[in-house]
Amino acid sequence: MLKCTVNGKEIEVAEGTMVIEAFKQAGEDIAHYCWHPGLSVAGVCRLCMIEVEGAPRLMIACNTQVTEGMVVSNNSAKVQEAVKWGLDFHLINHPLDCPICDQAGECGLQDQYMKFGQYDPEMAERKVKKRKVVDLGRKIVLDTERCILCSRCVRFTDEVTKTSELGIFNRGDRSEIGTHEDKPLDNDYAVNVVDICPVGALTSKDFRFKQRVWYLDNDSTVCNGCSTGCNVNVYYNEKGYFRVKPEHNKDINDYWMCDKGRNIFKHVNKESRLLKAMKKTEAGTQMMAPGAAAKDVASLVKNYSSEQVAFVFTGQYTNEEYDDAMMYVDKIGTKNVFHWVNNPESFDDFDGILLRGDKNPNTAGLIKALEAKSFNATWEQLEADLNSGKIKLLVLAGPELQEYFPDIQEKIQLFSKAEKLVVLSSNPNPAYRDVDYLIPMKTFVEKKGSFTNFAGTVQKIQKMRLVVSQALSLNEAMQLMAGDELQVGANL
Amino acid sequence: MEAKIISEHYTKDEFIGIDGYKKHGGYEQIANAFKMQPKEIIEMVKAAGLRGRGGAGFPTGMKWSFLPDNGEERYLLCNADEGEPGTFKDRKMMERAPHQLIEGMIISGYAVNSHKGYIYVRGEYRHIIELLEKAIKEAYDAGYLGKNIQGSGFDFDLDVYSGAGAYICGEETGMISSLEGYKGQPKLKPPFPAVQGYLKKPTIVNNVETLASVKYILRDGVEAYRKYGTEKSTGTKLFSVSGDVQRPGTYEVPLGYPLKQLIEEECGGLKPGRKLKAVIPGGSSAPILNAEEAYKVNMDYESLQSVGSMLGSGAVIVIDDTRCMVDLLDVTLHFYHHESCGQCTPCREGTGWINKIANKIVKGEGRVQDIDLLETVAKNMMGKTICALSDAAAMPTISFVQKFRDEFEFYVREGRSKVKGQTYAQVHG
Repeated sequence: MLKCTVNGKEIEVAEGTMVIEAFKQAGEDIAHYCWHPGLSVAGVCRLCMIEVEGAPRLMIACNTQVTEGMVVSNNSAKVQEAVKWGLDFHLINHPLDCPICDQAGECGLQDQYMKFGQYDPEMAERKVKKRKVVDLGRKIVLDTERCILCSRCVRFTDEVTKTSELGIFNRGDRSEIGTHEDKPLDNDYAVNVVDICPVGALTSKDFRFKQRVWYLDNDSTVCNGCSTGCNVNVYYNEKGYFRVKPEHNKDINDYWMCDKGRNIFKHVNKESRLLKAMKKTEAGTQMMAPGAAAKDVASLVKNYSSEQVAFVFTGQYTNEEYDDAMMYVDKIGTKNVFHWVNNPESFDDFDGILLRGDKNPNTAGLIKALEAKSFNATWEQLEADLNSGKIKLLVLAGPELQEYFPDIQEKIQLFSKAEKLVVLSSNPNPAYRDVDYLIPMKTFVEKKGSFTNFAGTVQKIQKMRLVVSQALSLNEAMQLMAGDELQVGANL
Repeated sequence: MEAKIISEHYTKDEFIGIDGYKKHGGYEQIANAFKMQPKEIIEMVKAAGLRGRGGAGFPTGMKWSFLPDNGEERYLLCNADEGEPGTFKDRKMMERAPHQLIEGMIISGYAVNSHKGYIYVRGEYRHIIELLEKAIKEAYDAGYLGKNIQGSGFDFDLDVYSGAGAYICGEETGMISSLEGYKGQPKLKPPFPAVQGYLKKPTIVNNVETLASVKYILRDGVEAYRKYGTEKSTGTKLFSVSGDVQRPGTYEVPLGYPLKQLIEEECGGLKPGRKLKAVIPGGSSAPILNAEEAYKVNMDYESLQSVGSMLGSGAVIVIDDTRCMVDLLDVTLHFYHHESCGQCTPCREGTGWINKIANKIVKGEGRVQDIDLLETVAKNMMGKTICALSDAAAMPTISFVQKFRDEFEFYVREGRSKVKGQTYAQVHG
């Protein structure tokens, strides 16, 4: 460990720490655009100016290593003046189109301007004109006039995805970010460049113009798109959920997430949800309250002997839901419990960065819950028992992310061999048209709990303030189906 | 008086080819070097006080001793990307004596224990690239390059690499980036090239004149070398003199030589009827001197520093009283704006900004506050960037405005040049 003094605060840092990290550690503000903790040092924005005692000139904190006894500061008039000018150089050719810029409200330039600027611009010359609305592919739009050439996006594609689609072309104040020969920026992690862009140069086609960011709340949770379990922030307001961004976790996802994970909020919004339970009757489909439907199923369960009842689970629910569910399965008394493994052929795939072939957030949790009760029935056995007519009632705890279950239609056909089929699902699906009961489920943003990722790490998910549907969690549904009443104030 | 050490035989055409070069003592110092330990040569260069001739004037022997002793492969790069406006002495050296550079590189390569050298030549010097390639072939054929040179057991390979016209590639780390096949942009320091340079290996980058000088330190010895120059600025130096003198050209004089004497004696003085107005003593980046300063200064690192300027690459640009300083600054800033690599914000944006202001003034559209603004913006570009290009644009700006403010004020007030009496459109058609 090394001792150093940052703006008068004495701290200890690990050997090899850069001064900018020491500032963060000391809780001292330091301006920076090009430095990003997940990328190499570029040292080009020249905003993280510091004064080191004994050094003749100002230095940049991002490329200066802390040495024993170093006394460093960035609050002197000299540094403040340098930062003010550093900001001014960034702004002279910037279009200042904040009112129509998507980044407004979370823009590095705006933040710095409020701190160091608030003056009349001295630039009286014409700004450099550059390309606007450059289409970088399916996901991203670039505005090269807003760009401050911090090179974060270029370094991201060089260092993280190693795809190197982006480069800085031309030189001097004519420099522009671009793709080689106008090829698209189209890798599985491309949207991260939007997150790390400190200004509004790179915007996401999916999110741009949808919401002003100051009208959004956000809560952190865990991505349910695969078994990696990236930590994410979900942004929402009373109108619905709007975007997902990664949250730093050095052990799981560092600063990044994949582009597929950006879509995990889409099925959550009201317009795509299953809002009422449905019961198939001879007269047609009857709409019901979810709880009433589950109680109906309870009376069905009683009509059959326990070995005639089967449950099929997917790896898309929380550990807590599984634990309770298994308890109620036990109460019902059946051993017919099965694990529906989607895409078995690519289940063990890994792209070397974050994306895993197991497209479930909690396969590990499900397996553990099954093992705890020694439920070890095989899929072959399920097929045999359905074909022989031994299983009369099948309850499916269906997937929340249906797109990762491409064989949904085929499996429902198989399950329909039972006399009665009950499907628990957050969203409708054409395949569910003829099931006997379809009961709405909560999504991962509407309940508390935890997921266990591929490596066995247990991570909590959060219930957010916007709950879009009156739906049940798996444990509630199971409890009702087992003939118990829900307690008031249970985990709703 | 000129002191022709390096340039002694430059007037002889035969000195270009290997036979003529050898006739005048060429390649004799290689054998001399091989008799010494590499460290002894480094010590000799240190003792001789040789300082880098490319612009920064860093002590060469000290640079060499920064190489880490870690057994890694090392590279010796010759910086022949002579791009500083006003500078043409490396061109002269390579045109007149390509073997002199090659011999200097073999000796230096031996001293720093490198087995691979590159000469990075500016792209516009197409004819020099051909000349060097021919000379290198001759040296290989004569056994001065390649494996086991002259039975010494020392191997040294040498190649020429063509730049593509970017000024920034004359900055040593920009040059390394370019040589590596990347966009020519300077790299962050630390790490310094001596520790991590070309292909991330320890690398020494020296100017053409620096490398050639090493040969003469070996030939004449430290004492003889130090006879020329001053205590801290030793040896002779080639100066590229251009502008309003009777005989512009390359002149080799001892460091510490009076600038007045260089202009009036070597270069034959100014044109008839003209008066000296200013001198840029070290290439376009060096702060300009007014006539009074110019005539009291000597051409060495310390003397020029004492008047707030620098020796730089040794490019002396002489300006007489018919020149408009506003016009000159505009041309200079156009160059730096064009050449900024665009990496660091203060340089990328600043060079464009001051160029636009200067251009607005010469177009007759300047505002009174623009004169101060030029100086303020330039001051805030100083010492803020990875390399010195930002400073190189700022230094002339500050010194032009400070020393010739009346010309700027006149231009803003009247919309025409004080010296020419005409507008930009009238002068430039």
